[in-house]
Amino acid sequence: MAVMLEILIYGVIIGSIWALVASGFSLVFGVARILNFAHGIFFILGAYLAVVLFPYLGFLSIVPSVLMVGAFGWFVYRFLISPIKGYEVMVILITLALALLMEQIVLAIFKDVSISFPLFLSGVVFLFGVPVPENRLLITAIAFAVIAILDIFITRSKTGKFITATSQDMEASMLVGIDVESVYSVTMAISAMLAGLAGILYAQIYAVNPETALRVLIYAFAIVILGGLGSVRGSVVASFIIGFIQTAVSTLYDPRWAEIVALVTIIVVLIVRPKGLFGVE
Amino acid sequence: MRWLVLLIPLLVAPLVAPQSLIYLLGLTFIFVVFVVSWDLIAGYAGQINLGHTVFIGIGAYTTALLQNPERIGLHLNVPIWASILAGGFVALAFGFAIGAVCLRLRGYYLALVTAILPLICIQLLNVYSNVFGGYEGFSVGFGKALAPNLVEEYYVTLLFMIVCLLSITLLVRSPLGKKLKAVREDEELAEAVGVDVVKYKLIAFCLSAFFAGVAGAVMVHYRLTVGPDYFDVPLMLTIILAAVIGGLGTIYGPVLGAFMVYLAKNYVFSAIVQALSLNVSDEIFLYALLILIILKCPEGIFEKIGRAIS
Repeated sequence: MAVMLEILIYGVIIGSIWALVASGFSLVFGVARILNFAHGIFFILGAYLAVVLFPYLGFLSIVPSVLMVGAFGWFVYRFLISPIKGYEVMVILITLALALLMEQIVLAIFKDVSISFPLFLSGVVFLFGVPVPENRLLITAIAFAVIAILDIFITRSKTGKFITATSQDMEASMLVGIDVESVYSVTMAISAMLAGLAGILYAQIYAVNPETALRVLIYAFAIVILGGLGSVRGSVVASFIIGFIQTAVSTLYDPRWAEIVALVTIIVVLIVRPKGLFGVE
Repeated sequence: MRWLVLLIPLLVAPLVAPQSLIYLLGLTFIFVVFVVSWDLIAGYAGQINLGHTVFIGIGAYTTALLQNPERIGLHLNVPIWASILAGGFVALAFGFAIGAVCLRLRGYYLALVTAILPLICIQLLNVYSNVFGGYEGFSVGFGKALAPNLVEEYYVTLLFMIVCLLSITLLVRSPLGKKLKAVREDEELAEAVGVDVVKYKLIAFCLSAFFAGVAGAVMVHYRLTVGPDYFDVPLMLTIILAAVIGGLGTIYGPVLGAFMVYLAKNYVFSAIVQALSLNVSDEIFLYALLILIILKCPEGIFEKIGRAIS
């Protein structure tokens, strides 16, 4: 029983970070039909920027780091993706090339050493008898709050409604006067900020190095496939499923198998449901 | 047959070129087969397979393990040509299994699932590192080379490339190739006129896997080492890049693209990095150039040149 509880609690913690990563990835796909292979780069850039700025700003370094990653996301859409948006394969290729380029640049600057971000809190609390670091609970709370804000933003705010409208019918949105291009840029910036924040929080639990970008990207893929491409809520649910599988395999068997089992599960789900759990057309 | 003229410089190259370039050309010939076999499924059947390196890697490890059977606890004595072919057939079997599952998925799902597959393979290599050699891979042994010296090896790889290109050309010109093109152009229409879409996609997938597997295996006996880089993302990107620059679905386009990209990456860029004594990977130039090329001509370089001429 104790083990089950442990898996459940730690699964929620890692799942909440995956939810930040995957919801952003899914949002961009749902709105602009862009498969962004550079999504993992936003994740590690967030972590690296925050670590670099930490000596000057302390925990406040999170704010400029997330904003800078957002600006980078905007830039990537505006100058790299937008000009070639009509060519599906090229979008995949250019974002993949950008991802590998940035990985090499980060590697050249910071060398092949892992970084981690200092903890907010250092205590440990007992949750139903399971010892949990306070910091991880805070991380989970932050992630949940951000996802809730995202949901409210998308459904309530004017920009959010523009985003929803564009994802439902791009041409009709243009007809009623929505500037689709700027909706895409904003969506990309939001998506990048979510990934950047996730990267910072992740760097408090695990070590981050340039290769993390690719691993995270693969998790994002797996989650959006499971949740159904383009469904943000599906991605959030799938994030927790993947989080549970990951922690269950790590705790009960061997951490090295965590990814393999998670990825094989997804392939099995796809055989049964080719459009994922909550797939949309 | 005019293209045979292009072969002449390749045939006389070993007489004039330095050893390092000859070795690199041999690698390029094998790389050409990687690219053209990917183009078979992407350019002719219209399926974006981002996991082509799975087949290359499986072919490579199959032959490497058959030549070093003690790693899997067996005592075998397999001739090299047989283990190379075995690499192709094992890759084909995986191609069939993967294709049977994934080809029901359309468009983006296929791309995403196949993008994940190589990473599962790399993880498995590390989990069973006593068999596969983990991150480092392993050396297959000096006695396992394609031919006793570099010049002969060069001609073996050249011959291999020509044989593969001829077989693939014959395939795409056959009735099978026409059906594949029909699937690429309009899946529903092809289905409506009686083409069994799933069957032909699966056949293309298996053929693509077979050629990739054989090429991966040949690469092992040329480089004499095997490692996770046969599966890895940079190789996949280089393959797609070469095919796309040359123009998908044309055979000659991806061949030219493969020569350009592979030689640029391993000859020109590494020379630049060395000359400037930069402490970076030569891949940085490749990726930066790639981004520029895509932005300038997203329809492919040769397509653009062709249009400019006509």
